[in-house]
Amino acid sequence: MATKPDTVFRSLDRKAAAMIEFTLRQYRTRTSTWVVLGVGFTALALIFMIYIDVMGSEFESVDNDGDSFDYDGDGYPTGQELRLGTDPFSDESHPGMFDPPINPEPASNYINEDGFDWDVTASIGEQTTGYDDDGDCLNSDKTDSQKDTNDNGIPCDIIIQITTSPTGQMSFNVIADDGVDEDPDEDAYSREATHIAFVLAIGKLGFVLLLGIFLPLFMATGLIREEMTSGTMHFMIAKPIARSEIFLYRVLGYLGIVWPYIIVLGLLGALVSGFVGSGDEFFRFADLGVWLAIVFATMMATLVYGMMFNALGVLWKYGIILAIPFAAWELGMALLSMGVPDATILRFSVIGWALMIVDSAAMLVWPSLDMFILMGDWGGGGTGSDIFGSSSLRGSDPLNFFSSKPGLGLSAFASTIVATLVLLVQAVVFWFLGGVLFKGKEIQ
Amino acid sequence: MIPDFDQQGKAQTKEWTPDVQAPAILLENVSKSYGRIFALSNITLALNGGVTGILGMNGAGKSTLFNILMGKIKVSQGSVKLFGTNPWKNPAPYARVGFVPEHEKMYDWMTAHGFVSTFARLNGLTRDEAGIEADRVLDFVGLTDVAYKKIGQFSKGMRQRVKIAHALVNDPELIILDEPLQGCDPLARTTIMNVIRELGKMGRTVLVSSHILQEIERITEQIVILHQGRLLALGNLHSIRERLDQIPHSISIESENPKALAKDIIDIDEVFGISFPGGQNVSIQTHNLGAIHSRLPKIIVDNNHKVSSIDNPDDDLASILGYLTSGGRV
Repeated sequence: MATKPDTVFRSLDRKAAAMIEFTLRQYRTRTSTWVVLGVGFTALALIFMIYIDVMGSEFESVDNDGDSFDYDGDGYPTGQELRLGTDPFSDESHPGMFDPPINPEPASNYINEDGFDWDVTASIGEQTTGYDDDGDCLNSDKTDSQKDTNDNGIPCDIIIQITTSPTGQMSFNVIADDGVDEDPDEDAYSREATHIAFVLAIGKLGFVLLLGIFLPLFMATGLIREEMTSGTMHFMIAKPIARSEIFLYRVLGYLGIVWPYIIVLGLLGALVSGFVGSGDEFFRFADLGVWLAIVFATMMATLVYGMMFNALGVLWKYGIILAIPFAAWELGMALLSMGVPDATILRFSVIGWALMIVDSAAMLVWPSLDMFILMGDWGGGGTGSDIFGSSSLRGSDPLNFFSSKPGLGLSAFASTIVATLVLLVQAVVFWFLGGVLFKGKEIQ
Repeated sequence: MIPDFDQQGKAQTKEWTPDVQAPAILLENVSKSYGRIFALSNITLALNGGVTGILGMNGAGKSTLFNILMGKIKVSQGSVKLFGTNPWKNPAPYARVGFVPEHEKMYDWMTAHGFVSTFARLNGLTRDEAGIEADRVLDFVGLTDVAYKKIGQFSKGMRQRVKIAHALVNDPELIILDEPLQGCDPLARTTIMNVIRELGKMGRTVLVSSHILQEIERITEQIVILHQGRLLALGNLHSIRERLDQIPHSISIESENPKALAKDIIDIDEVFGISFPGGQNVSIQTHNLGAIHSRLPKIIVDNNHKVSSIDNPDDDLASILGYLTSGGRV
């Protein structure tokens, strides 16, 4: 054994290591630990099963512009008649009368035949985008003014106006010429939107909120309190170790079991959603960035709540009762952050900052998410009703709900840094408060 | 509930140097009150070296005194110093203190060795050092054979010895034992008493509390008597004893033939009264307890009496306390 100088810090290290190791082993022997971890795993597994089920099901293709129907009964779908210039509402006029006659096309050719041709990297201001794939705008016998119903001088295009309010809130407006990008591929859009919405929902609600609050609620509240009530605290405080150190090392021990657990669950989540998720590639590598942020945000949340709930446990024998209002508050803040991510009141929560980390990563990984949601909102054509009661494409409303911009108005990277720093400061504040409370406690 | 902001618990962020002049324990006018009830009132005490027994009935303030010494509760008045440092403000002196709490609850899932070595590391020992020290102290209390068994399987006496081992692992100068003999079987009692006497011989300052006089008597002669939160007596047990012998005592003997036994006993000079309270019992009144106890066994054995129990109903702390509180001072 090498002899190293016996410094003060080395002996602090040893105490920390001993206390952390002790706390870990203590957790291991408790049934409650395994119950809490098992319940967390089961809850997330259930959500993942729903996700897998949804992703495995077919998203029904809808003929948004109605041109696959044969209104006049002449055997030719409306789209074909329109393209070739015959009257779709008269069985006296159809491409079969051409010389040579043209055979009718299957109706399915006119479903999802005019997909999105959007430039999703649109910037603030007004731009023109879109392309008429099926020719019902460009090739038909429309007049120039009929081809340019949005009146910008360009036939068969879509105008996207993006404006920012003085508070930095972006708003969008879409004005399209008739017959441009009007029959998009629902399956492709909804699959992608549903996937992203699920990843964000599972990440924000399942991981950051559920794991982030319930793990500390059941595992950190008793870190000091249970030792005090059972009388075993006497062994700890009869040592040359300050009480705020005991407080800190107990929390570190708790993190020693909770953090690996979160990392494992996050890894499983990333694997499942990477393989099951939409897209042509075998595995969605890009999503790993979001999963990394979800795991990191959950770890930070369990750190801050761990310190807070441990302090509440020191404060009162029934600290868990004090912790529950906090949990309720955080739940409210989590829901608020989805709708109003820049609300000032979110700054007085833990979850608001933790979710900001997830939102920032989503902004980096899926930079054109806003345009993507806008596309779905606009492209439904009034046919794809969903549980949100809107007529947008399936998946766009949940995606709109679960995604939000980090509310600080900073870049994604800066938001992550700021949120992390704030969470660390919160953790230190709760450590300090807990330490002070614990120091002032008389232990009988 | 209101936190005490002036406590500066800083472990060993700077090396703690004990005051070499200061005694291991120094209490000056210490009082502890809960509302209007005084758990301890105006205790002044300095102890350094040797074994001291803290005697007192339940609720006399023994545990409060130990809690104050161990920095678990704050004094209402007065000052507490361990090696010259206030333990409520700074836990550093505990590097030289070993404490055996009265509480029965332990970590049942740990092995004796695991428990002792883990808590040794809280004194700043490395894992290896802690392992070696744990072996040493477990051997000292005679638990080497069961060192790697779970504490949950241990008897009360073995658990007490594990607690004592854990308190000795940092080689402390001051050892505080709160009711170490309570609930132990005779064998564990003897072992623990030997351990305590041994520590005294090694020049350590040892504090043992008990509410049973005979236990303390077998360990040490230096005693402190607490009664209703006050320091009633401090000094040599013998001097207290001698005075105690002047006051009347009764001894109760349960025997198969109490009448025959009484006949033999009446010959002892020191006996001034015999009564039959009922059943198989005979009660003896005496002024000199020591003399009776030295002659009684011989009489019983010589005359072949079948005796099932000998009780000294008032030869305990209560009688000393009664004597002391009724005006006698040592």
